[in-house]
Amino acid sequence: MHLPCNPLLLAIAAPLAVALAIALGLPKRWSVRLAYAGFAAPLLLALDVWWHFNAAPKADGYAYLARYSTGLDGLGIGLVLGVNGIALPLFVLAGIVGFAAGLYALQSAAERLKLYLMLLLVMQAGLMGIFASVDVFFLYFFHELALIPTFIMVGIWGGRDRNYAAMTMTIYLTVGAMLSLLGLIALYVKSGAHSFDLIALRSTLAAQPLGAVAQKHLFGLLLFGFGILVSLWPLHSWAPLGYGAAPSSAAMLHAGVLKKFGLYALIQVALPLLPAGAAPWGHALAVLAGFGNVLIIGLITIAQRDLKQMVGYSSVMHMGYAFLGLACGSALGVGGVVLLMVGHGLSVSLLFLLATSVHQRTRTFAMDEMGGLGRPAPVLAAFFVAATFASIGLPGFANFWGELTIFIALWSFSPWFTVLAVSGVVISAVYGLRAAARVFFGPPSEAFVLVTAQHPPADLSWGERAPALVLLAALLFIGLWPRSIARPLDGALPTSAAVAAAAPAADAAVRL
Amino acid sequence: MAPSHLAFLVLAVPAASAGFIALFLRRRGGPASALSVLAAVAVAAGAGWLALHGPRFEASREWLRLAGLTVSFGFNFDDLAALMLAIVGLVGLCVHVFSLGYMRDDEARARYFGGLSIFMFSMIGVVLADNLFMMFIFWELVGFSSWLLINHWYERPAAAEAAKKAFIVNRVGDFGFLLGIILCYHLRGTVNLSDLAAQASSGTAPYSTAIPLLLFCGAIGKSAQLPLQVWLPDAMEGPSPVSALIHAATMVAAGIYMLCRIEVLMVNPALTVIMWVGTATALYAALCAIGQRDIKKVLAYSTLSQLGYMVAAFGMGTYFQPQADGSYHTASGVSAAMFHLTTHACFKALLFLGAGSVIYGCHHEQDIFRMGGLAGRMKLTFATFTIGVAAIIGFPFLAGFFSKDAILALAFASNRAVFAVLALTAILTAFYMVRLWKIVFFGATRSEAAARAHEGGGVLTGPLVVLAALSLVAGWRRLYPAAFAGILANVPEAEGRAHGIVLGVSLAVLLIGAGASWAFYAASGTDELERRAPGLFRGLAALQQCFDRFYAWYVAKVQQRAAMALNFLDVIGLSGLVVRGTAGLAGLAGLGLRALHVGRINAYVYWFLAGVAVLWLFAAGIL
Repeated sequence: MHLPCNPLLLAIAAPLAVALAIALGLPKRWSVRLAYAGFAAPLLLALDVWWHFNAAPKADGYAYLARYSTGLDGLGIGLVLGVNGIALPLFVLAGIVGFAAGLYALQSAAERLKLYLMLLLVMQAGLMGIFASVDVFFLYFFHELALIPTFIMVGIWGGRDRNYAAMTMTIYLTVGAMLSLLGLIALYVKSGAHSFDLIALRSTLAAQPLGAVAQKHLFGLLLFGFGILVSLWPLHSWAPLGYGAAPSSAAMLHAGVLKKFGLYALIQVALPLLPAGAAPWGHALAVLAGFGNVLIIGLITIAQRDLKQMVGYSSVMHMGYAFLGLACGSALGVGGVVLLMVGHGLSVSLLFLLATSVHQRTRTFAMDEMGGLGRPAPVLAAFFVAATFASIGLPGFANFWGELTIFIALWSFSPWFTVLAVSGVVISAVYGLRAAARVFFGPPSEAFVLVTAQHPPADLSWGERAPALVLLAALLFIGLWPRSIARPLDGALPTSAAVAAAAPAADAAVRL
Repeated sequence: MAPSHLAFLVLAVPAASAGFIALFLRRRGGPASALSVLAAVAVAAGAGWLALHGPRFEASREWLRLAGLTVSFGFNFDDLAALMLAIVGLVGLCVHVFSLGYMRDDEARARYFGGLSIFMFSMIGVVLADNLFMMFIFWELVGFSSWLLINHWYERPAAAEAAKKAFIVNRVGDFGFLLGIILCYHLRGTVNLSDLAAQASSGTAPYSTAIPLLLFCGAIGKSAQLPLQVWLPDAMEGPSPVSALIHAATMVAAGIYMLCRIEVLMVNPALTVIMWVGTATALYAALCAIGQRDIKKVLAYSTLSQLGYMVAAFGMGTYFQPQADGSYHTASGVSAAMFHLTTHACFKALLFLGAGSVIYGCHHEQDIFRMGGLAGRMKLTFATFTIGVAAIIGFPFLAGFFSKDAILALAFASNRAVFAVLALTAILTAFYMVRLWKIVFFGATRSEAAARAHEGGGVLTGPLVVLAALSLVAGWRRLYPAAFAGILANVPEAEGRAHGIVLGVSLAVLLIGAGASWAFYAASGTDELERRAPGLFRGLAALQQCFDRFYAWYVAKVQQRAAMALNFLDVIGLSGLVVRGTAGLAGLAGLGLRALHVGRINAYVYWFLAGVAVLWLFAAGIL
């Protein structure tokens, strides 16, 4: 496909343009029609970029590199777009999840649908922008562009406790964003590159690396700033709360894609620019992620009675694997994190979508008041079971590869943490299967019998099936053919991240 | 067609069948079952050709490569894999055909047959895998298909509970299995089975004992050995053909197969542990089987016991028997285990399908004390079931006789204590199997359902006849084609005086167990043991339940309470104090955050936009 302009720019501009058109007062019928195009364009462009990526000409590892002046050149800020092997899987993820969330929103009967669609489209543009930006300023800018609509959507369309949830979410995420912004500005100042361009920053810092102490402190600032955004324990409480209250499409986009911004920025910005800064934090990070996210949050997830909270907590738990992958500091660990981000993004957004569909049929998120939903809604049950098994790392789905590579990489870092992380495999089976059983199997609860009498539940409609199918197909495709994202990724891993590829070696392995 | 392509087809056909059923035949049970059975026929044909006529080969392709790690998708088709593939293909076909009749009236037939196809796909993947990563992948998928099929009647709480339990308990085993694979990868530098075999034996290397023991954890889960055996009896909530295929003949045997695949990694201390775990399981499960009332539970405990036999046989390792002419005969635990696995697959699938036929005939009655007198009403089922019982208790010249003797001979040569326990287990096996047989088929009919019992037609009895014929001949190793010589040539055989002792013992245990049972039990509606020795009966029941009680206690009192406590702390401590505290601070500090505190989210937007505007103006030199 030959496009008149850069596909990355188009992927950002298309949803923005549609949002603008809706804002300018397009009638509702046309707004809906145009919104389909607005959600589909980024996906098609992302798939096109993916398809051509291996053959595309690259500069510094980036394909489709383009620079646009913004009038801020004095500050070293320019809109620099491009995707490398790390950005590509996430760019595609953003396209897929954005499309699915858009489709789901379009079939929902949300009040003030035009505003809802508009905000989602802005969010979608921001998400595409994050993973297409090579400029740190715009990386951050696009994150904020996607984040603000999230707050608004929680505040307007949220479920119960929406004000408290929105407040919590806003405080946490603002603090996280401020900390990381502080870190990024400090990095910009300290580097002396007078540029936010990652490529320039990289070459400057490769020639004149910062001192070890400065690297350590800067990395710490970025780690905890971004860590809050990714719900690093104990700074995670915004996540289950916020997702519990958020409208489904917003939860899908935030948990599925936007949350990955923190990890992505750590991998694309912090690790390559501060190669000596990560190692001192490795152990502390592993302790927080291993004991906090995986073990403690895993157990907390078992205790959940609310379906949406359960999905929210499980997502926090899986982020623990991602942090563990970062903690080991090897290229394999980082690669595993990217694989896991893609798998988790797809599965968690599918779970949020299905949780909402369950809610529409049971009129509640309380799992005690469900049961036996599999009989009236077998297709919904099948999707939910597939999504659950995907999220607990069943092979054949994308998540498995991320978990496996992280576990393998983790052994070189510390066998004990590997044991801890692998124990999560059992924990997640417990809460995942328990939830599926409580919602869909066994006899219906008394409460659900009453609901059924008034509102006989129907199976998944085609409007709900279409976005679910998109997500499930992506999960299976990557699960069965991981090379499709691992090949571009393999070429882009930050080997400079100190530790060599975790090639097996008899001597290095055992530090029990 | 290259053999590797045919092997790929054998793997892919059931996967395609499952996918097609899921997508297009969800509501059409007839076409779905036809497609699934056709796939099973194709698999059996392909597997048969590969096993008997195909060359042995290895083929491998890269699946994932990332930062030095390579996971490959490959086949390692040796005699061991050929034998296992033949078993899976053959038993799989019988069970598919039987299911046509057994599940005829089930409204979710399509899902059932789709599940069978997924199972065939996963199991064949385990059999063919040339490396541990790939084996683990299909191993997990086997667990998933087991979950799916146990959960088939998901509206029954017991079925949903049993499916969940099976998957979770298996994952506990897989926890060790995965760690073992990762340890193996890091220590030995490869997880490819042939590469591991080609490496020099590393009995002295660090952690050489840890690797096989961790990998064995996987087998403990999948083959339901102590202490993870609890899921298998519960798994009987699934349809009977599923019990025959998955929870008797193939999937639960995958643990033993996996051990045989990684035999090169074994070291003596690990083998000793494995031997004792298997021996203990054999005895424990046999004791549990005695007090069961449910026909399928008796068979389930008997499966556990026989799996214990196989694990014990594997654990006894290779032994060189001196011959009269000064040469040595290699008696290998692998061969003994695989031989027993083969015969067991035939007669246990037969027994489960026979039980299915009885249950079908008695309108889903499973309590043996509410059956009785079926010998006259279900003649073919009775005849084939009798062959199955005779085979499992080691009646001379039937399948179980030879394979059990091989294990006893190996035990006699290598460890007399194990020999004694296994012989005792054999007595118990004969005891509870004859009990089952007598109570089900003899005496007066004890329920209306049993009085109306009838045969279920050709699709039900046909597979029974095939499996009965196999149970008659599967013990004769001379009848096996040369294709499996790599495994079956090394089956242990007692020589000389030992031969006489082993043979004598095995005949004696058969006579004692079967005779005592026949004399003790009356074909009536009450359990003689419960009536005459209530203390012993309660003791056996307590023994059977002790593991489940302990796990239930752990889940309810430890795990759940810890989870609730942590949840409480999380909600109160972190969310409450920290968030409200931060909000309070922000309120004190005033400024923009106060707007958030009172809940006006949109203020954040304005503040942000204002900030951007100021920055922009500043950068552009206007300010």
